[in-house]
Amino acid sequence: MSQEAAYIFSPEQLQYKFHNEHPFNQHRLSITNDLLMKLGALSPETILPARKATIDELLLIHDEDYVQAVIGAAEGQSRSSYRTTFGIGTEDTPVFPHMHDAAAWLVGGTLAAVDYVFDSGYKHALNLGGGLHHGFRGKASGFCIYNDSSIAIEYIRKKYDARVLYVDTDAHHGDGVQWAFYNDPDVCTLSFHESGRFLFPGTGHVNERGHGDGYGYSFNIPLEAFTEDESWLVAYKAAMREVTEYFKPDIILTQNGADAHYYDPLTHLCGTINIFHEIPKLAHELAHEFCGGKWIAVGGGGYDIWRVVPRAWSLIWLEMSEQKETLKQSIPKVWLDNWQEEAPVQLPPEWHDPKGLYPMIPRKKEIEKKNERTLLKALKPIYDQQKKVKS
Amino acid sequence: MSVNVRDIMKKDVIVAQRDMPVSEALDLMKTHKIRHLPIVNKQNEILGIVSDRDLRDAAPSIFDEKHKEFINLPVSKVMIEDVITALPLDFVEESANTMTENQISCLPVEEDGVLAGIITETDLLLTLVRLTGAAMPTSRLEIEVPNESGQLSEVSNIIKDHQINIQSVLVYQSFSDNTKKILVFRVQCMDMRSLLKSLKEANYKIIWPTELEMKP
Repeated sequence: MSQEAAYIFSPEQLQYKFHNEHPFNQHRLSITNDLLMKLGALSPETILPARKATIDELLLIHDEDYVQAVIGAAEGQSRSSYRTTFGIGTEDTPVFPHMHDAAAWLVGGTLAAVDYVFDSGYKHALNLGGGLHHGFRGKASGFCIYNDSSIAIEYIRKKYDARVLYVDTDAHHGDGVQWAFYNDPDVCTLSFHESGRFLFPGTGHVNERGHGDGYGYSFNIPLEAFTEDESWLVAYKAAMREVTEYFKPDIILTQNGADAHYYDPLTHLCGTINIFHEIPKLAHELAHEFCGGKWIAVGGGGYDIWRVVPRAWSLIWLEMSEQKETLKQSIPKVWLDNWQEEAPVQLPPEWHDPKGLYPMIPRKKEIEKKNERTLLKALKPIYDQQKKVKS
Repeated sequence: MSVNVRDIMKKDVIVAQRDMPVSEALDLMKTHKIRHLPIVNKQNEILGIVSDRDLRDAAPSIFDEKHKEFINLPVSKVMIEDVITALPLDFVEESANTMTENQISCLPVEEDGVLAGIITETDLLLTLVRLTGAAMPTSRLEIEVPNESGQLSEVSNIIKDHQINIQSVLVYQSFSDNTKKILVFRVQCMDMRSLLKSLKEANYKIIWPTELEMKP
């Protein structure tokens, strides 16, 4: 196991819980931790703690009246403005006790990741409790209260003056992070998502390229509903490499929402676990090629917490800590036995999905062609620049 | 059915073969009151396109000797070969974007490699007034309802019961069935499942989000 990678987790992160029926469920962190431990790829003493972000750190991105509203709501206060102005107390983002503390612990995990990488000699760090990419400066949205990635990026800019490439493979557009740095040429955002025509939040069009000095530093690859592995990976591999070469970041921060899988109940993509084998692999490779290894990974969406998230997120850690030889064995039986009773679905016994997971997609060809076009459009500025350099 | 290129494209496309002389192509466009002429081969694959304006701009003055030579050229010599096309299931607003970006006013529609139809700026303008974009974080909800009064209100009430804010609404008559209306909402909510459940219980036909059959 590589000593270059930091695994960050604190039990306080589990308190980010809206209610029992809510799809965003940090129970998946416990299930994932357990899978890695049963696999022998993680032990309790090697887990590094998160911390609670301070108010000042939250204010790196968020507005003061918004943070005050979250604290107020967590204390049981109720004002009509909470819902209408701040997006708290909606069906997506209901109020729950300690919501400020719990959200601040998720942010603190990603901030800890930053410090482990820049200050403590780690090359990579993973905070699966982070990745709440829909949080806006002054508004909660899409299950997200505080935007840990935005805060961490601003923290990196202020404290370490490094240029950041943010890559978002959640099935939903990484809108909160994109808009936070839309004018900033030192932060490049790249988001792969199901097209906003089909899925929340509706944005993430190819034409959203940044504004002012930040123009040209926002990339979006909106994919068709029912996109499958092959087409998804063609887009990912091409855009990931081109954008990294073009931007030449000092550090890569990847958001690893695990909801592009066919089983995910909130999205309409048809990925299998294959894409989650490939995502961290290329991120890892590019981090070494361009950033001296500096790579921070966070979690994100992922609403099939039994069949998809534990495997997808374990794969990030196995890649990051160079323990992929453990994949030669099947999913440990002790893990299956541990959780099968609680799981409402059959847990997957293998690291790969069986063939024929879902019915044939009748529009497959058209979807692939459309995605190909989208990819070319998104990368056109880079290709145009390459042509200029050559001629 | 949402508004796709397929819904508004003209399917009976006036076309020319590659060896048609320019003069004939101009006449053909004049006769049919069209401004664009796709050039296809026998398999109906798109080879190129000409517009009446391109041809007139390129033509030497009628007093010039070269004029006669020009109007007798086969269209394949003057056509634009790098044709920008649309796909049948492209959304109408995307096609509008493509046209604006490329400063063109017509898109042949291509399906399985062959010409399936054509859309022009005029078709788009008629359709675009019915469409709206999404700037706020919202999800798209599309419902087919009977074409009778009170439907929008009833659906909105169900949305209201879920305390979900509606960002925009679009109502139009179904393109395929004039006894039906389509309601397209953009709602401020990421997890629509409980709303969808209520709508299904009230027997509404939900067009989007659809699920693949067998999806658990």
